Amino acid sequence: MNQTPRTLNRILLAVFGLLLMAAGALAMALGAPAVATWWQSTAARAGAAIGGVLESTALPGQRDSWLWIVAALLLVLLIILMIAWVANQGKGRSGTLAYDDDDTPVPGSVTINAAVAEQALKAALSERVDLVNSAVSTYEFRNRPALKVRVSPRQGVAPDMVAEEVSALVTALDAALGVQTPVLISISGGARTRFTRAERVR
Amino acid sequence: MTDETERLTSEIIRRETHSSRAVPATILAVLVILASLYLMLETALKALGQDPWLLSPEDAAGWVGSLPAGISPSVLAAAGALVFLLGLFFFLAAVLPGRKARLSIPNKRAAVVVDAEVLASSLARRARVAAGVTPEQVLVTIGRRLVEVQVRPTSGIPVSGQVVQSAVEDELRRTAVDPVPEVRVAVAESGVIGQ
Repeated sequence: MNQTPRTLNRILLAVFGLLLMAAGALAMALGAPAVATWWQSTAARAGAAIGGVLESTALPGQRDSWLWIVAALLLVLLIILMIAWVANQGKGRSGTLAYDDDDTPVPGSVTINAAVAEQALKAALSERVDLVNSAVSTYEFRNRPALKVRVSPRQGVAPDMVAEEVSALVTALDAALGVQTPVLISISGGARTRFTRAERVR
Repeated sequence: MTDETERLTSEIIRRETHSSRAVPATILAVLVILASLYLMLETALKALGQDPWLLSPEDAAGWVGSLPAGISPSVLAAAGALVFLLGLFFFLAAVLPGRKARLSIPNKRAAVVVDAEVLASSLARRARVAAGVTPEQVLVTIGRRLVEVQVRPTSGIPVSGQVVQSAVEDELRRTAVDPVPEVRVAVAESGVIGQ
């Protein structure tokens, strides 16, 4: 429910995975004499071709080609792209729950801060004894704000009851705010639920 | 729910029950960045006409081109296998479905996903109450299509598998997980004593 670029992740992982697999398979196959002679002759030809290009692009008055500068710049670009890729993982937290600049219901623009929903839900959830922990956060999902409610019930608590009661809280929040955002209720386990005792009385 | 919210909600459920592959993606990106940094250093030294730091790009390319020469075949094969396995790890991370151990519960307003662990502990509680045993005597495993319940009865007190089965099925029906898994109850032959 964040903006992790999932399709891009899969494409890049598949492409680099295949490249590494091909390189590894080639290195393993080089043990065979036939492959080794083919590889050496191919590499020699490719090396000669690249050497020719480098020679013909040498800067006047210097012995090296300007293609080395281009290669270094391309590598810098690759590094920047990779950093941007990592920075996009798990991105998407937002601070706005609703924004409206139509003049129809009220004049001017109205912004509802994410903290409104987060604190209201968190206060309602923290009173419950069957939950060990709860967290509410707002994300921007497909250009729309969305709420994520994560609750960790005690061991043995029926998840459908938790879901029902949390969604009743969400419906109440809808009525209070007058806007309906997509909501995720994530009922999760975790270390803290495992080490606290099961609830015996309800 | 409006149509828009409903569409987004079903998309959220799909995203939450499948892995985002952020961890292998980050590992891969860090590896590519490290390799590129080193290559960039050597290329820049070459472009500036300086001496190489470890190995000039031309010498490196020449060494790779002459490969089975100058290295023992077993080392080359082992290195190749290592690189191949690393590539396989990334490739499988991309290609496999990447389902998480989570189930979704239908809900009128929100997208609800439950960790299999949470559902298992609630089923275990129902099974334990139906069988009249302690928590340690019940083990519930949740798969996508099958819920396995293992009960070790207290010695001398028989446990009816049928009763446990119907209790667990009732709890599953109430939870309304989607898709509904099949329930299989196994009552152990030997009981435990001292419970």
